Amino acid sequence: MSDTMLTKAVPAALGASLRIPQTERSEPVLLFEQVSKWYGPVIGVNQVTLELRGGITGLVGANGAGKSSLLRLATGQLRPDLGVVTVRGIDAFDWRAKRLVGYCPDNDVFYEEMSGYQFVETMARLCGFTKRDARRRTDAVIELVGMEGRCDRKIRGYSKGMRQRIKLAQALLNDPALLVLDEPMSGIDPIGRQDFVELFTSLARAGKCLLISSHELEELDKLTDHVAIMARGRIAAVGTVMQIRDLLDNHPLAVRIDLPEPRSLASHLLDFPDVVGLDLHDAASAEEPGGLVVRARNPRKFLRDLGRLVVEENLDVRRLESLDDSTQAILGYLLGGR
Amino acid sequence: MTSTDSPRSAPVLLTYRPWRGTLGGPLRGTWAIARVSLFLLLRRKLFWALYGVSAMIFLLFFYGQYLQSWLQTQIQDEPIRLGSGVVGATVKPVELVKMLKTILRLDGSGYTFRNFFNYQSQIIMIVLALAGAILIGNDFRFGSLPFYLSKPLHRWHYLGGKFIAVGAFINLMTTLPAIVLFAEYGMIDTWEYYTDNAHLLLGIVAYGAILTTTLGLLLLATATWLRRTVPMIMVWTALFAFARMLGDLMVLSLRLDHRWRLIDLWNDLYIVGNWCLGMDHSTLRPQPQPAPWQAGLVLVAVCLTSAIYLNRRIQAVEVA
Repeated sequence: MSDTMLTKAVPAALGASLRIPQTERSEPVLLFEQVSKWYGPVIGVNQVTLELRGGITGLVGANGAGKSSLLRLATGQLRPDLGVVTVRGIDAFDWRAKRLVGYCPDNDVFYEEMSGYQFVETMARLCGFTKRDARRRTDAVIELVGMEGRCDRKIRGYSKGMRQRIKLAQALLNDPALLVLDEPMSGIDPIGRQDFVELFTSLARAGKCLLISSHELEELDKLTDHVAIMARGRIAAVGTVMQIRDLLDNHPLAVRIDLPEPRSLASHLLDFPDVVGLDLHDAASAEEPGGLVVRARNPRKFLRDLGRLVVEENLDVRRLESLDDSTQAILGYLLGGR
Repeated sequence: MTSTDSPRSAPVLLTYRPWRGTLGGPLRGTWAIARVSLFLLLRRKLFWALYGVSAMIFLLFFYGQYLQSWLQTQIQDEPIRLGSGVVGATVKPVELVKMLKTILRLDGSGYTFRNFFNYQSQIIMIVLALAGAILIGNDFRFGSLPFYLSKPLHRWHYLGGKFIAVGAFINLMTTLPAIVLFAEYGMIDTWEYYTDNAHLLLGIVAYGAILTTTLGLLLLATATWLRRTVPMIMVWTALFAFARMLGDLMVLSLRLDHRWRLIDLWNDLYIVGNWCLGMDHSTLRPQPQPAPWQAGLVLVAVCLTSAIYLNRRIQAVEVA
């Protein structure tokens, strides 16, 4: 997804709020400038600076890290105690900014007596649509989330997945430039997840900016490799997964390489300055070649050097797999294994 | 949504149609909130029992006025023998009608409308005490507020929508039927009734406006504060029932100053409503009663306190 993303999220340092200098359009879709939010004596969001201009950004972090507070600040539900949150240059707390925002909250408490259609139509009226336009728009988004034919039942009888779809439908009503989704995959069956992944991808390609908070890191990995990691109210890191991984010097990248003669490769790799460790696995059978797991700092340089070596030595590499550059692994490293 | 068998490599938004029109302002959203809130009030079966009682009160006044007027045109001067033998009695029709008039006051006067408002207000109090949590409290308690506040609305628009719903409900129960009674009496009496009693029409509207403002703001404030039905009922009972008992106790039993009755909010509304309808202050029972301006000051204080509280809540409360 990084090709569709306008945000060039180059983290300057880990463990600090990050400003991402930019770029192609002058006004970011979402901008946090030194934003802090307290709940009494507890700090929820701590001096966060963040700039999003398009594409999909995953927001990950442990429970209580401040993800929901950040999303609520972005959607104008909370007012920051310090700093400014703007959507296309308008204060996020202002109702005009909310015209540009679609929000799908994590809780699914509706008016249970209403049908899904009635609920979405009511939300359309709240957006400022006329009665006729509200119906048209409701039909469009209901169809988009795959609820046509099922939306006339009362919400009381909906499954978790249907509720998620209705929530997503109401978030899409005003054709928002910024779509903020809090745990959108929760409770969705595998087919529905695939549908959602496709929909989010398509929306990003259509120029929307999506900020998605999720505990489902595997699903998030399918959606985007651009993440913002939160810890203790701060943005611990932001950027593509690989960019963040590069900065984790004290956690060398582990790469598994399968080939028939691993010892030969191992002898070459020991000359690489970035390699800090090797585990050899000899071949168990003819079908299962041996291999080695290499731990290396400076992953980009290492992988470049490795590629050159493979070509020069004409090595028969059967498999090359990075073992810990997933969002899950990086989150684990950044949050100290939690 | 794209179907699952669509090509994975090139997902296309086949059905997505971006909005190209212009959205209305937040006031349109306020109306939507008001409509949904009224819908919630009309959905509860328990409330329909109360609406039934309210409808019966209205019909009693509506047909009572007509009956009384009809009787006046039908009676003659001769006494009528009712019953027979020892249980029989002779009554003079003129005196019977006079007695009915004195007791029921179904004569299109200020008494009629004051009594009507008083009876209907009791139903309104009960419905609002029960409905406060449904209208507003549940939005806070169960977290449905994010749906509202993520839309292009300010918090004041949200509260405005709720206030309009409460106001519409109160006026549907009081002002509108009172105006119907006013119009009806003019038709069964003479056309001069309308011109001679135009001040009554203004009084009805003013009484309705006072009820709407006071009860609407009080309901919003207490519902955002308490959120649950049982505490709401307890507080409203304290405000409108215990305060009355306490006021009576202080003035009648402890012989304290009659201004202690001002703690009774219901009585304050009644006094101000009586003044709006142009009724003599001495017709209020029990006597003595605080002056209308004193009751009015209390209502203004209640409204201001509620508005200030709401303003603070709006600034401070955040969707948690």
